[in-house]
Amino acid sequence: MEQTVMIIFGALTITTSAMVVCARNTIHSALWMVASFVSMACIFVLLHAPFLAILQIIVYAGAIMMFIIYAIMMLNIREEDATRGPVRKSKIFGIGLLIVLTLLLFVIGFNMSMTALKGPITLQVFEQFGNVAVFSRYLFTDYLLPFETVSVLLTAAVVGAVVLAKRD
Amino acid sequence: MIAQYELYIILSFIIFAIGAAGALTRRNVIVIFMCIEIMLNAVNLALVTFSRMNQSLDGAYMVLFIMAVAAAEAAVGLAIFILLFRKHGTLDVEKFSLMKW
Repeated sequence: MEQTVMIIFGALTITTSAMVVCARNTIHSALWMVASFVSMACIFVLLHAPFLAILQIIVYAGAIMMFIIYAIMMLNIREEDATRGPVRKSKIFGIGLLIVLTLLLFVIGFNMSMTALKGPITLQVFEQFGNVAVFSRYLFTDYLLPFETVSVLLTAAVVGAVVLAKRD
Repeated sequence: MIAQYELYIILSFIIFAIGAAGALTRRNVIVIFMCIEIMLNAVNLALVTFSRMNQSLDGAYMVLFIMAVAAAEAAVGLAIFILLFRKHGTLDVEKFSLMKW
């Protein structure tokens, strides 16, 4: 059952991601991107990380995509210049990379033997204390310094963005 | 039959390949940016899978920080795009040759 759901959402994520690359119109790309993020969030739920799934929807599908769509609308890009010029070198590289990565995928997929450690955070712990409680407990103890550093980074990024885009 | 976790890793690999190919083939800066986000998202999926596999939360925290860094990157990146568009009047990567050797 879980595997069926996983395959459905996996196929959905692959399709929507491919549509982001293939769509001619930039705003269509952005909208496919939102769909891709939402179906990826469903996969996170299947991996017993509902908190990350919610963050994925709020931060990625909400905040970041809002940024991108605003930028597209502000810059008023109607169509990607669909000039059918000569095939560029980077296009050949890109398709070659796709082929190489897919071949690598098969090599890995057939030789993979993943052994897992058995850490303390089992599903029973999640059931007993709740996902967010367990998550935040370690976030505010072991990972406190990275957490605070990231907040400084975000502040610096926002100030930097304002300074960059300011009309002088 | 492939085991459960391998399936997630393979999915992450496919999505990463799509993102990488898109970042190399497309011309529009914003689409390239979105392809980079797709690659980040594929890595997030792999990290969550590893975190679940090892019954530890370390991977999940990495995902959290990747999301924060992606948000910062989006803010700064889009400001740079707006500057580029103001300066050159286009978002085609082929037209930006200032730092091309």
